[in-house]
Amino acid sequence: MTAAALIIAQVSDAAQTATDAAGTVGGTDTKALVVGLLTGIAFGALLQRSGASSYAMIVNMLRLKDLTIMKFLFIAIATGSVGMYLVDSLGGIGLVAHIGIAPLYLVSLIVGGLIFGVGWALAGYCPGTALAAMGQGKIDAFVTALGGLAGAITLVLTWDYIQPTLEGNFNYGNKNLADVMGANPLLVAVSMAAVIVAFVLYLNRLDTKKKAAGSPGTGKHGAVTSSH
Amino acid sequence: MSATDINSAVPGSGAASRRMGWLYGGILLGLLNTFAVATYAALGVSRNYVFVDNLILRAVGSDLPTTNAYLSQKIPTSVDWLVMLAVGMIAGGFLAALLKGGLTTRAVPKLWASRFGDSRPKRFAAAFAGGFLLLYGARIAGGCTSGLVLSGVAQLAIAGFVFAVSILASGILTARLIYRGRAS
Repeated sequence: MTAAALIIAQVSDAAQTATDAAGTVGGTDTKALVVGLLTGIAFGALLQRSGASSYAMIVNMLRLKDLTIMKFLFIAIATGSVGMYLVDSLGGIGLVAHIGIAPLYLVSLIVGGLIFGVGWALAGYCPGTALAAMGQGKIDAFVTALGGLAGAITLVLTWDYIQPTLEGNFNYGNKNLADVMGANPLLVAVSMAAVIVAFVLYLNRLDTKKKAAGSPGTGKHGAVTSSH
Repeated sequence: MSATDINSAVPGSGAASRRMGWLYGGILLGLLNTFAVATYAALGVSRNYVFVDNLILRAVGSDLPTTNAYLSQKIPTSVDWLVMLAVGMIAGGFLAALLKGGLTTRAVPKLWASRFGDSRPKRFAAAFAGGFLLLYGARIAGGCTSGLVLSGVAQLAIAGFVFAVSILASGILTARLIYRGRAS
């Protein structure tokens, strides 16, 4: 109840802070920095506690051997979607749209995504889980972050050459599924959440069968993941 | 309570029983993202790598931060909410491991070693190359698993769906190639 009141009270704040100085996200005042830090601590702790900062958990998800992290991510998306659009409709100021819907540069998203996927499988971390894993002391996660710094600056230095190809065509603007469908976003979010939950239950059945089928492998697998 | 019931019913989590279950963890992460959006902005990470690069360039006196259009137009010079989020993520990983177990100094994951041996240089080369591709790709697309998938799909952004399908397709294919012929 208090949390809900707090969230509503913050809505007007967010509307202001999101439009702060060029390029900044979420504001630069002390309160924004402190809340950002605390939110980050919760985010990093949740990733670590759920096993998302584990190389084996990520790679075994991509190998379709253990779908735990996929289920975790999908449930987080479903909960976040309903949560965001619920707060959005309560706040009544188009909060989610105000924070910014990612632009639909089709070429950028597909090319960037395909490159990202190769890095994901090689590193066994993504840019965020590498940070939590690094905090845990995993040295290869720190090396992944260093590689990330190198990749990011290389992108900056090559941006002018690749940008026209990436963003010149197939640019559809800041498209949102609810706008495209002409439907109420909360209704779309709830519907998507229902589909996700059904899909996760299906994945869970597959996962349960898979793990039950290879019971000797389960022990071995457990040893691999538990040692991170 | 029902959340933990379902989670404890998930087999194969025996050795990892110290972990939080996927259902409980997923719900908490979704609520955290709701809180983030309601207070400041959606969870996201990858821009911070460029922020740190920009910081290093400014510290060594490079003129790139002012002459390069990408840096001067897209990357802020002052610490913002999003930067603190990344700082917090490192601290959060540390604190969770400190309190609940999991602090380590391991360099080579067991699964990796079972395929490629326990050579540190080999693992570090792959981790570095992986990190490079992660951020090169993420900055092309304008976000990573956090900003475009966790937050983007939740915001119902079509961009998030396209990125999610792309990273899963490429990640699954690559992981299967790396571990081809391996049963476990």
